[in-house]
Amino acid sequence: MGEICEEHGALVDLEKVPLKYEGLSYTEIWISEAQERMVIIVPPENERKIMKIFSEENVEATIIGTVTDTHRLQLRYQGNEVADLEMEFLHHGVPQITRKAIWQKPVISEPELAPTGNPGKILKQILSSWNVCSKEWVIRQYDHEVQGGSVLKPLVGVENDGPGDAAVVRPVLGSMRGIIISNGTNPKYGLIDPYAMAASAIDEAIRQIIAVGGSLEKIALLDNFCWGNTDKPDRLGSLVLAAQACYDIAKIYGTPFISGKDSLNNEYQIGDTSISIPPTLLISALGVTDDVTRTISMDLKEEGNLLYVIGDTKDELGGSHYLEILGLESAKVPAVDPVKAREIFQAISSATKQRLLRSCHDCSEGGIGVAIAEMCFAGGLGAEIDLSEIPSSDHLNQDDKLLFSESNSRFIAEISPENKEKFEEILRHVPHKKIGIVSAERRLQVTGIKKNLIIDEQIEDLKEAWQKTLRW
Amino acid sequence: MKQTKAIVIRTAGSNCDYETVHAFRKVGAEVDLVHINQIVNNKISLSNYHILAIPGGFTYGDDIAAGKILANEFKFKIRDQVEQFVADGKLILGICNGFQVLVKAGLLPEIQLDSDVQEVTLTHNDSGKFEDRWIYLKPTSKKCVFTKGMTEPVYFPIAHGEGKFIPRDDATLSRLKQNDQIVFRYIAPDGSQPDYPWNPNGSVDDIAGICDPSGRIFGLMPHPERHFHPTQHPHWTREGLKPEADGKKIFLNAVEYIKENF
Repeated sequence: MGEICEEHGALVDLEKVPLKYEGLSYTEIWISEAQERMVIIVPPENERKIMKIFSEENVEATIIGTVTDTHRLQLRYQGNEVADLEMEFLHHGVPQITRKAIWQKPVISEPELAPTGNPGKILKQILSSWNVCSKEWVIRQYDHEVQGGSVLKPLVGVENDGPGDAAVVRPVLGSMRGIIISNGTNPKYGLIDPYAMAASAIDEAIRQIIAVGGSLEKIALLDNFCWGNTDKPDRLGSLVLAAQACYDIAKIYGTPFISGKDSLNNEYQIGDTSISIPPTLLISALGVTDDVTRTISMDLKEEGNLLYVIGDTKDELGGSHYLEILGLESAKVPAVDPVKAREIFQAISSATKQRLLRSCHDCSEGGIGVAIAEMCFAGGLGAEIDLSEIPSSDHLNQDDKLLFSESNSRFIAEISPENKEKFEEILRHVPHKKIGIVSAERRLQVTGIKKNLIIDEQIEDLKEAWQKTLRW
Repeated sequence: MKQTKAIVIRTAGSNCDYETVHAFRKVGAEVDLVHINQIVNNKISLSNYHILAIPGGFTYGDDIAAGKILANEFKFKIRDQVEQFVADGKLILGICNGFQVLVKAGLLPEIQLDSDVQEVTLTHNDSGKFEDRWIYLKPTSKKCVFTKGMTEPVYFPIAHGEGKFIPRDDATLSRLKQNDQIVFRYIAPDGSQPDYPWNPNGSVDDIAGICDPSGRIFGLMPHPERHFHPTQHPHWTREGLKPEADGKKIFLNAVEYIKENF
């Protein structure tokens, strides 16, 4: 009532509010957060009509007060005035508090990375990790096709169980316009670099929209900040950095934040020690497409098609799943270069508009290695990949780094050979390279920079690694 | 020939009313979406319609058992109207929660709204969970008006927690078979007898949908209205858009039956 009547004023008789339990005081009635209730304002001449509609549908509706022109919030209980406040004071009277925020970069000495002896085994370990593994167990248990608008489901591919990048829905049946829904988050980056963590979450959410056929032209963002107690300066410091990243990246991508929520004070006290969750931002992105038939899924489609990596693979293993498996740390969390990323997104959108892509998948946790493995087992096809072709401005020359770096703004795309020239023409200003082909043999075969075979895994084994953790 | 008129009944917890209305409209029916209370209170009469559809959802929160409360409203509040509707030779379709309502109201496997005995039921999936997944169905009834001319397997999604079909006893099951009332059976992708998940809920005899002895009252757990447009097919990004979606025929058959008979 306080919000909806801010402009005019309100007079509410609290004894009229229907109660689930007897014996609530007027204060409790006013501040109760009981669910499944809403307040609406109706012109007096519609009173009978609207009460009739509610009664016809067995919905309890009660008139509890009136909008006034006093610019005050006035509450009564059984005829007695119990509150009388100016709306101006109610909404704008809170004194602004200045809080102290600090951020200290964690001191991490960069590890010496000996090239791994068995990248296939590491790949399977990453596929099995909690944040990467199949979420089918959850997805199957909610009705993700209700109202019939589903165009791209959360699970895709030949057996309807591969990890789709985003969902596409036609909210108006009969229209070919659709909305694209995705999200991005990475809880492993925040403790090392909250700015990079927030930027990466935005980039992930957006590149997933791009991957299924959307474009930067129409994307809105929502933030969900999950933090510790921000009264503490160090927690607040990381929040400030994350918020700055949201501002910076969203401005350059041209993707406004339209809403969001926060969940603060996530701390647990043991004796004198208070343990905070890692500062984590979940970004949801909502895109619009004018033609849902341009949607593409991430599963490999056809033997002989060409596989490209688009985007720059850098020496960015901080917070990566790879280092976690090795038990190592690095401060080099993946950064976002939003100006370059915007060019990449626009190039891919332009290719999907021309229907040049057969499949597309973004690279996130586990990097190129995980992205290609997922595309293989979702499509029931294999791939032959050559790591020496991967574009890298840092001149990465280690197989494991090329495979598992989690650099942002990267995609794997599948195109049919006859579209090669058109596709490369569109990508001419952004880093890209053909790194392999789709094979009918159900194996992922990866050749390292020394031209030796470093991974040769059956796609069934990769899929098993990915599914076993949270098996249905 | 009159305009075919369909009524889609909704109440608290219905959530597939929108796509069910859309499906009937696209095949040429005039459709009203009506709250059950409008019929209970005689504001709207079923006699104005040729097809009655109960859509999917969780009516009244599926309290007591899925579809039970709406079923009781059919039994105790609008029984006369429903009996007349059936006696007039009109069509009834129940999808998912609507199928649960039909068997619990005594409209399936044959009309006996006054009976306390339920001949068949739909209960908790063997998996113990709600599941949304696509399954293959084999049409098996020559009698059912809604599946006329359908011979090839179809691909529909299911989305339910209580879809396990169980007949009261062997005699009931035999009667359903003898009377050609089994409309859809779950099958494996290669057409063979299905194990889980191809029989997604443990239904006896792999039964996914049945009709009454006249073939005019039809209920099924899978959602034909969710495979009404080619973009709903899970593999369209692989195989391209098909000219027709599998579910459309069911709605078209209903409208054509009315055109021929009314």
